[in-house]
Amino acid sequence: MPASLTGHTRESLTTWLTERIALYLKRQPSEIDAAVPLAEYGLDSVAAFGLCGDIEEDFDFVLEPTAAWDYPTVHALADHLIAEFAAAEGGAS
Amino acid sequence: MLTGSLPQGAPEAPATGQETRVTARVAELEKRLGDPTDEKNPVSYARLLEADEAGEISEAGERVLDEAVLNADFVPREHGGRLERIDTLVRVMRQVFRRDVTLGLGYGVTSFMAGVNVWTAGSAEQRERLARILLDGGKVSVAYHELAHGNDFVRNEFAAKDAPGGGYLLSGEKQVINNADRAAAWVLFSRTSQAPGSRSHSVVFAERAGLDAGSYRVLPRYDAVGVRGCHLSGLHFDDTPVPADALVGKTGMGVELALRAFQITRSAVPGMALGAADTSLRTVVSFALGRELYRKSVMDIPHARATLSGAFLDLLACDSLSVAATRAVHLLPDQTSVYAAATKYLVPKMLTETMHDLSIVLGARFYVREGEFGIFQKHIRDLPVLSLGHAGSAACQATIIPQLARLARRSWFAEDPAPGALFRLREDLPDIPFDKLTLASGRDALSATLVAAVEELPSSTPEERAVHGIALKMMDELRQLQEASLALSPENRTALASPATFALADRYAVLLAAASAIGVWQQARFGDDTFLADPSWLAAVLHRLARRLGQQPPDLPAAVDARLHEEVLRRFESRRSFDLYNTPLAG
Ligand SMILES: Cc1cc2nc3c(=O)[nH]c(=O)nc-3n(C[C@H](O)[C@H](O)[C@H](O)COP(=O)(O)OP(=O)(O)OC[C@H]3O[C@@H](n4cnc5c(N)ncnc54)[C@H](O)[C@@H]3O)c2cc1C
Repeated sequence: MPASLTGHTRESLTTWLTERIALYLKRQPSEIDAAVPLAEYGLDSVAAFGLCGDIEEDFDFVLEPTAAWDYPTVHALADHLIAEFAAAEGGAS
Repeated sequence: MLTGSLPQGAPEAPATGQETRVTARVAELEKRLGDPTDEKNPVSYARLLEADEAGEISEAGERVLDEAVLNADFVPREHGGRLERIDTLVRVMRQVFRRDVTLGLGYGVTSFMAGVNVWTAGSAEQRERLARILLDGGKVSVAYHELAHGNDFVRNEFAAKDAPGGGYLLSGEKQVINNADRAAAWVLFSRTSQAPGSRSHSVVFAERAGLDAGSYRVLPRYDAVGVRGCHLSGLHFDDTPVPADALVGKTGMGVELALRAFQITRSAVPGMALGAADTSLRTVVSFALGRELYRKSVMDIPHARATLSGAFLDLLACDSLSVAATRAVHLLPDQTSVYAAATKYLVPKMLTETMHDLSIVLGARFYVREGEFGIFQKHIRDLPVLSLGHAGSAACQATIIPQLARLARRSWFAEDPAPGALFRLREDLPDIPFDKLTLASGRDALSATLVAAVEELPSSTPEERAVHGIALKMMDELRQLQEASLALSPENRTALASPATFALADRYAVLLAAASAIGVWQQARFGDDTFLADPSWLAAVLHRLARRLGQQPPDLPAAVDARLHEEVLRRFESRRSFDLYNTPLAG
């Protein structure tokens, strides 16, 4: 069980996702509204796969490539990650 | 599915059912199409040029293909057709593209592209309906594109709205759609939700028969620079009802389905169009042998001769990548996303450059629209369609870019090499696993073939040593690519990436082509084809690809040039194709 899966909150993941997405889009994190669909900001469907790769890299957790399609806002994605991380921890222990 | 890396150089298995069928089909088509240089033949280059001048698709050509029931090649065998493999479909269609890109695209390929969506996600009934339409000779359009959004198709607006009594109402426009005017059915990429993002579109299979004729119309035809006979038009719908069972797959699955279908079609179409470059090489060889200058034939001018050998090498390199990508659909379906994009990016680009090189040897005749060499200017106008239509080159690079970091981290230098079967040109394959294609997997066994080859390649002859030396440098290049990919900043992992990141995708595609060529040779080494078994062609292909990467590999042994030139002449004189298959041609 990678230690990196524990101790995340909606807030910490929201911050991580907002910062990452801001970098993708060459914007300030303050410009990214966590309730607005990422596609509104111009994040295209294939680039969303890159986001899943980054989550994999930083959290050592493999996510469906389409996760950012199905959970299209920062908030939705943060909630999804919390649930997935918890499920993985539950499954591992 | 991985059968493991077989010992390199396993001999080709004897021809089996699939190989017998494709060889017979290719020969049958060639026989029906007849000698392209005989002006009395209704599907000769001369007649095809006339049709092009008139802006028409060749009627005689369509008749021949109807008689051959070419549409059956787009229908899986389980539905009564002949489709069993993507690489063999490429070989069949190459015969058509060899002669006329307009016929290749206009008669068929877009029906195949439309069909893949339905074979992948359609209901049993839809697949049955589509098979019937195609086997009866009907055409099917693939209607994705809207001028307002181009490659950014996730923003497409054409809508399938819920109809009050069930089913959908189609509304909006699709533009630059091949065969929109005469298709019996259209596969329409349609918005089913107003929310932005990748879950807001669905695919609709609409049959023309039974539609309310007053509520839709076909838009005027476009006049293009190439494929002038193709029926490129559009469709306008005004709340046209279609039944609920017109939906292909689930609501919101459109983008996913498109990206999966693209993996098959983008792997396949470039290899088909390779046929046009093959004819162009043949045309210029004929010119170079016949034309005398400075008391020699043009073929005796070293620059001209080297250009023709170079074009042959380009065809072999492109065919190698095409073979690996199309066979990967069957063998490595979870990895096909990057291979398909690399093929659709690199093959059209290389072939366009090949055509340019050939045009220099053809000289002023390249500008002449008729006569013995007229087909060349037609092919040079038609071929760019390959990189324009169905995702532009940059959009294909943009498919690779977000995957680079993950490949670098997870797969390169860690993956097992691709199974030898990936490169065995004539070996049977399992069915097309439409449901196993994966959007992005972070795995790449093809580049692992390159890495493994550095250990495995023999080095007893000068040619083998040349191969080995270049393969080693290519592996260094993969290492650099890995470092650069790991270092990519987040903004360089999207379509807004820097030009330098697009260059990484380019280099990666070249490495995949090199790996494919190595794989093909390793498997052909102990086979019957003495030319493919000889390392000369591989050394020369790798040399050319290395130069493409900006490397400066040492000169090849002198015998290599002679061997290639001899093969170019032999294939020209014996009327054989300039690709990996050495196929007998009608002329
Ligand atoms: C002969 C022909 C037949 C066709 N037949 C059909 C058909 O049957 N059905 C159908 O649906 N469509 C068809 N099309 C339309 C075709 O699909 C579109 O032309 C194609 O998708 C590309 O659109 P575009 O050139 O307008 O590109 P745009 O998306 O407008 O791109 C313009 C430029 O922007 C840049 N760019 C775009 N996307 C990216 C990206 N992701 N990353 C980086 N840079 C990018 C590139 O430099 C690109 O060249 C046909 C087109 C032709 C020419």
